[in-house]
Amino acid sequence: MTVLLEVRGLVRRFGGLIAANNLSFDVVEGELHALIGPNGAGKSTAIGLISGEQRPDAGRVRFDGADVTALPIAARVKAGMTRSFQITSVLPDFTALENVALVYQVRAGHSFRFWRPAAGERALLEPAGAMLARIGLGGRADVPARDLAHGEQRQLELAMALATGAKLLLLDEPMAGLGTAESQAMTDILAGLKGHTTILLVEHDMDAVFALADRITVLVYGQAIASGTPKAIRGDPAVRDAYLGEDA
Amino acid sequence: MAKGFAVRREQVLGVAGLLLALVLPNLAVALGKPDLVTLGTQIAIYAIGAVSLDLLIGYTGLSSFGHAAFFGLGGYTVGILAFHAAGEPMFGVIPGATEAWIVWPLAIGVAGVAALAIGALSLRTEGVSFIMITLAFAEMFFFLFVSLKTYGGDDGLGFRRRNGLPGVAPRDDVAFYYVCVAALAAVLFGFSRLVGSRFGRVLQGIRQNPRRMGAIGLSTYPYKLAAFSIAGAGAGLAGALHANLLRFVSPDMLHWTMSGDFMIMVVLGGTGTLFGPVIGAAVMVLLQSWLAQWTEHWMIVMGPVLVLVVLFARRGILGLLR
Repeated sequence: MTVLLEVRGLVRRFGGLIAANNLSFDVVEGELHALIGPNGAGKSTAIGLISGEQRPDAGRVRFDGADVTALPIAARVKAGMTRSFQITSVLPDFTALENVALVYQVRAGHSFRFWRPAAGERALLEPAGAMLARIGLGGRADVPARDLAHGEQRQLELAMALATGAKLLLLDEPMAGLGTAESQAMTDILAGLKGHTTILLVEHDMDAVFALADRITVLVYGQAIASGTPKAIRGDPAVRDAYLGEDA
Repeated sequence: MAKGFAVRREQVLGVAGLLLALVLPNLAVALGKPDLVTLGTQIAIYAIGAVSLDLLIGYTGLSSFGHAAFFGLGGYTVGILAFHAAGEPMFGVIPGATEAWIVWPLAIGVAGVAALAIGALSLRTEGVSFIMITLAFAEMFFFLFVSLKTYGGDDGLGFRRRNGLPGVAPRDDVAFYYVCVAALAAVLFGFSRLVGSRFGRVLQGIRQNPRRMGAIGLSTYPYKLAAFSIAGAGAGLAGALHANLLRFVSPDMLHWTMSGDFMIMVVLGGTGTLFGPVIGAAVMVLLQSWLAQWTEHWMIVMGPVLVLVVLFARRGILGLLR
């Protein structure tokens, strides 16, 4: 059991509001770790702090054995972590294939190449096509991202995140806005990734969380009040009080 | 097949435009309207400035409101070098120059380096702040040249001859017209390669979703800065040609209304199309020249045209023609 991500004492204030209050937890290599909590518990803030979009007021983030607290986003992606967004976030004018090809392009080094058409570069298109096939979008490669169904766009986002070659995926509500069937499809895709890629999953869909997670951390008011297996979390009285409450 | 048709139609448009550009001087003679050549030259020059601005507005999503700064710097490079060539060297050491192969690359370089410096600061902001800060820098250069009495200040700076090009007579307006058309063709070709390259892909990604580009590991700043500098260099070339057309430069070239005109050309013709801004430049120059015969308030007509295009044509005039 190697700890891949170590979050220690993160604090983040927005004016009078404390979105992360001495937040600490670990993500172990290979696991699917879910971060749950009521609205406003600071889940998205946690993702923002870990991915580098936001800077903590205090605390440290260690990833893969190195302190990344001060690193900018791009450096963290290079180190092997990437995030997805709560609101669908693809490049709408590009086709699905072009979206993923651009990730491989960025991964291949700088893009200060001004002359050769990128549209014909097999070194980018081939891995992109393979990634789309792997994520179940093989037949939709040439469709502009804006014309994809909502569920397909979420799949495309995941394909883009995977294409960065990340060891750790930070997924911010990948099921948000999905219908039952689409949610199930996404759950299956995530289940297929388990073991290959370490995932920190923020999700409101409790069926999906309890079906997928190896471990769960419960966040309330910016603090981790419990961390453990789904079974342990379900049985935890503090969690029941604070969150799962009535319907669990 | 709709797509294939659209491509063919665009090619037809392109070929027709090129043919028209090539025979324009003959047409002008046949119609007995020699000033058509000057109008054509003006269109080609403004088009170069507008196409380069489209790289920012249409491809990178950066609404720069300071493009006139680089247009003016390109122009003043020509004017100032001509001034010193005819008189004393600059600061007693730097000689003037009148040869195009020296002056024009210098004009492009000066504008590109200025854009690099201005961009380095402006690109730390976004949205409205970016529009305002680029405007502020352009205004700074405007007032700088107004205050430089050595170079004519308010009144501008005239010079006697166009920059020398081998095989082109300096007084030959038709030859100069073809030089400008060739420059426009080169800019269009270069920029269309640019937007299709890896670099261009990144710019388009930044326009569509900068946050996403960050999340896949890209630092957007250096790419935006490079685009800003390249666009500035393009405006510098346009400015150098404009100075040659009139054999005169003045702070008007740097005025904020000039930046606005370039923006209008881009939006009118179609953002993110490269060829659209050429149409935008043509419409703008022709409307101005025809309407100005009746009224100096030609913008009274131009304004509503722009509003209609913005409201009803997503990709400008080119979008309608497609």
